[in-house]
Amino acid sequence: MSPKKRWTYLPLLLVVLALVAAGCRAAEQEMQPPEDQEQEPAGDDDAQGAQTDVGVTEEPCPNAVNEDNGCIYLGIISDLTVGPFAPLAGPITEAQAAFWRRVNEEGGIAGYDIDATTYVRDNEFNAEVHNRVFQEIRGEVLALAQTLGSSPTLAILDDMRDDSIVGAPASWNSAWEFEDVILESGANYCFESMNGVDWATEQVGTDISLLHIHFPDDYGNDAAAGSEIAAQAHGIEYSAQETPPGRDQQAGAIEAVVSQSPDVLFITTGPQEMVEIVGRAAARGWQGLVLGSGPTWNPALLGTDAAPALEAMYHQVGPWGTWGTDTAGHQAMRDALGDVSEINDGYTAGWVWSYPMRAALEAAAENGDLTREGLLQAVSALTEVDYEGMLPNEAGNYADEPEQGAFRQSIIAGVDTESETGVSTIEDFFTGPTAEEHALDGPCYELG
Amino acid sequence: MNRPRSAGRGRPLLYTSYAQDIAMFNTPGKRWGVAALFALALLAPFAFNDDVVLILALALVAAIGAIGLNLVTGYAGQVSLGHAFFLGIGTYAGAVLGGDPEATRALAFGLPMVVWIPGAGLVAALAGLIVGPLATRLRGLYLAIVTLGLVFLGGHLFKEARFITGGIGAGRRGAALDFFGYRFDQAGPLLGLDLTRAQKQYVLALVLLSIFAVLGRNLARSGVGRAFSAIRDRDIAAEVIGVGLTKYKVLAFTISSFYAGVAGAVFYSIAGVVEPTAFNLLLSVQYIAMILIGGVATISGSIMGAIFIMTLARVTQEIAHYIPYISTQAIGGGLINVFQLEAILYGLLIIGFLIFEPRGLFGIWFRTRNYWKGWPFSY
Amino acid sequence: MTRFVQSVVTGFGFGSIYALLALGFVIIYKSTLVISFAQPSLMVIGGLLSYFFATVLGLNFFLALLLAMAAAALVGVIVERSALRPMIGKPVFVVAIITIGVDIVLRIVANRFIGPRPRPVRDPWGLSSLEIGGVFIQQRSLAMVAVTGVVVVALAVFFKYSRTGLAMRATALDQETSLAQGISVGTVFALSWALAGALAAVAGTFVGAGSGLDQQSWIIALKALPAIILGGLDSLPGAVIGGLTVGIVESLVATYQGQYAPWLGANFSVVSPYVIMLIVLLIRPYGLFGTPEVKRV
Repeated sequence: MSPKKRWTYLPLLLVVLALVAAGCRAAEQEMQPPEDQEQEPAGDDDAQGAQTDVGVTEEPCPNAVNEDNGCIYLGIISDLTVGPFAPLAGPITEAQAAFWRRVNEEGGIAGYDIDATTYVRDNEFNAEVHNRVFQEIRGEVLALAQTLGSSPTLAILDDMRDDSIVGAPASWNSAWEFEDVILESGANYCFESMNGVDWATEQVGTDISLLHIHFPDDYGNDAAAGSEIAAQAHGIEYSAQETPPGRDQQAGAIEAVVSQSPDVLFITTGPQEMVEIVGRAAARGWQGLVLGSGPTWNPALLGTDAAPALEAMYHQVGPWGTWGTDTAGHQAMRDALGDVSEINDGYTAGWVWSYPMRAALEAAAENGDLTREGLLQAVSALTEVDYEGMLPNEAGNYADEPEQGAFRQSIIAGVDTESETGVSTIEDFFTGPTAEEHALDGPCYELG
Repeated sequence: MNRPRSAGRGRPLLYTSYAQDIAMFNTPGKRWGVAALFALALLAPFAFNDDVVLILALALVAAIGAIGLNLVTGYAGQVSLGHAFFLGIGTYAGAVLGGDPEATRALAFGLPMVVWIPGAGLVAALAGLIVGPLATRLRGLYLAIVTLGLVFLGGHLFKEARFITGGIGAGRRGAALDFFGYRFDQAGPLLGLDLTRAQKQYVLALVLLSIFAVLGRNLARSGVGRAFSAIRDRDIAAEVIGVGLTKYKVLAFTISSFYAGVAGAVFYSIAGVVEPTAFNLLLSVQYIAMILIGGVATISGSIMGAIFIMTLARVTQEIAHYIPYISTQAIGGGLINVFQLEAILYGLLIIGFLIFEPRGLFGIWFRTRNYWKGWPFSY
Repeated sequence: MTRFVQSVVTGFGFGSIYALLALGFVIIYKSTLVISFAQPSLMVIGGLLSYFFATVLGLNFFLALLLAMAAAALVGVIVERSALRPMIGKPVFVVAIITIGVDIVLRIVANRFIGPRPRPVRDPWGLSSLEIGGVFIQQRSLAMVAVTGVVVVALAVFFKYSRTGLAMRATALDQETSLAQGISVGTVFALSWALAGALAAVAGTFVGAGSGLDQQSWIIALKALPAIILGGLDSLPGAVIGGLTVGIVESLVATYQGQYAPWLGANFSVVSPYVIMLIVLLIRPYGLFGTPEVKRV
């Protein structure tokens, strides 16, 4: 065949390829859950009677508990391999799987089982990856049972709004109070810090100095914003210092603690940094009250050399009771998870964050509208959520404006060597005077 | 310009002039091949679902950055681990110039695409111009690690400049893809076709890549490109024959940074949100891997490499689900879970590829082509 | 003054960790001309092995350290045999990227074993420290410096007086000539990876002592990069001095920068080693102790 002749076949080949390709995309799209109008007759006829669109099927879930039920698919985008939150994200995701398994074992919701294991994706704690994997499951899920990270969630927020996809965050940013599609639980970092400082003043008075050492990220800054507001309210001598992640990077923070010698040291970093700062400062003779928050703690810290210093000084302010707390919800969680070899409060967090989603699904099913739109409407009508005692019911208020709806109560936990997670509640839910009076007219630390 | 006749038909290997030899498409195979590939690339957004189209769009934009790196590292031989720094500079320049002031609290001017794309490139090029002289003083691995130092310094700058970058963890939105009021970041009609957002982003990426690939190819076959190669092959010899080392090394860094700046700005306006820690060592390494896997000192290799690296995560994800005995649960279960397996496969594929084909995808193409050129003889 | 001395002392402790890591890089570079980006994962694996021997099995710290060094050396050899041996003679940057692939794989495996909790290596010193004139010196820091010193002397003796050490030096100088002299270059490569693995294990053990190794601990190993460039890529004493310099500079900047140069931004200490590196290289393009390359046309 001469070269010239050979090339004449090229356009033909391209046309064939084009046809195959076009067929491919169309075929795949047919496999996606059908649109409203196609689904409606089936929806009206079936036993449940709820209207459905994306992410809800009449076929049972893979490995279904109730073979007769349909299936509601929830997506999870979490930090499962290389990101900084991987040690917590694994337990969070596992607890959520256990939560929905329990819901299914109790019969599911309105004739549907809930699946939160099929569409689990890893975001590597990277906004771009988060967006990429979200697009992958966007057409497959009704809502997101977990979307971890602030900037990653921000990357998909517009799409979530456009598609009315509701999502439970895996962080406590004050910015989430202002998003309709985000189902946050518990007091945010900002209120949490206010409550922490309020509690500290009850312990050691207001004639004190306070040093807040925090990560330079949204978590650290949101928390520092709260402690500053509270310190101003009490007239406390206040200073804040950023510290980078990494055990070997804490020389500046240690120096600040030793030279300023604060009465109260508030730390919102990771566990490694906190133990380095507190341990070294204590070894150099510093003493005072140490306040941390949930992400600051890891049960393994009690196995380190700094354990005596931590036992003497460390307290943490948290959004809810730790793993061993005695409530119906905590008990259900411990039963559902069974023998977990290495307990941490990632499990507790994952479990608690799932309640509002369950309440929203139940409310939407009751309204007969399990579409994305219907779910979003159900969320914006939720005034309370049954957290089975893990949080007060009013914590699940998504109907009111942030000023009224935001939950402002925290707990204080102290080191407890008997407890599985090393800390246990010493002061139950309370709202400090600062958080009570603070007008929440914008996030303490803005995103994007 | 008269097109050399023998390149048109008949005797593909007969060149009667130098200009003909170095012409952009010096064989009919190249001309037709590129046309066919372009046609295929135009069809791709209709062949795949939007999630894949988005990945491909990002890959095409990354290819612009990879071409830039290949100009300085492949053609001019100055190994740079600092590409992430220039990508970052360009990204933020683009985001500040072209960001939507109403959608972000960070600094943004809301200028149109025709301003911010070249703007991002120019700001990054300026950074390259400043950094370039370093390369006249340092060589080889020293240069590589010093440019890596740039990445760390840049990272610090990005983290601290919160009014521009939004700060760690929070991030900011990228530039808006607004072409004289026509939005490439919203679904809508394009040339009579009703396209989704990802498809439109893909089309834009393809157009930009085509422009920058042609520019890159032209540069490589010009006097500047030959000066680059001379420096790469033996810098002292190049100097002796009259190639100004300082001038051309600085030029290589400047041009490369321009490409990086454009790529960064467009990449993160497609990806949506950019966080300052994104511009780290790993990103630089990813780009180095793109040109090594694609093929050093080739434009087509840069594009192939970028597509390979950017789609690798998705490919490993598909493969990982077919490997037995792996837990699909997030943690616990089997020896490793599916996400860890994905990450391991990612590493293994890079290792395996470089061991078995150190000349990259371009090497495979080269051998295939030569095989068929000589067929049925072995050489 | 106390503050200054305190800061230097603290920097010395971490500096000796950086020095050990830098030595590993330099040994591999000298024999194979490759910068191994797999050192971070070797460090984490070495530290994890120490955790296993010292904390889980409850062995004596030094015995655990030796066992971990041996095991990490073995890991180093396995890596060399499987991923790097096929690459002899290939461009060094391709090989460097391969080591990054190796690092990804090993680190994921190591993270799998670390799991959600930090893994503390139990050591005999804990947080106890000496106080000399108001300066607190952690006993662990002293131990680190001492161990680093022993390792450096042992390495120097090994390279200077042993036949194998001589072979390694010869290979570093010229691979083909040493092949012709009957030196097994492959063995030398394997040996340098084994040494690098063992050194990384020592570093990893001290990183894990105290608050423990977690999934992010590997980042510490990247500090060795400015250290080796400062000292010169092919100089063993340079690696030690570079490592200590990086540690001390970081600590001093962390202590004083907030007070005297706040405009540099918070946490400037993290990048300060790179600034020093840039300045040194502009004056001495082959580092403080590196061998200048002879240019021929």
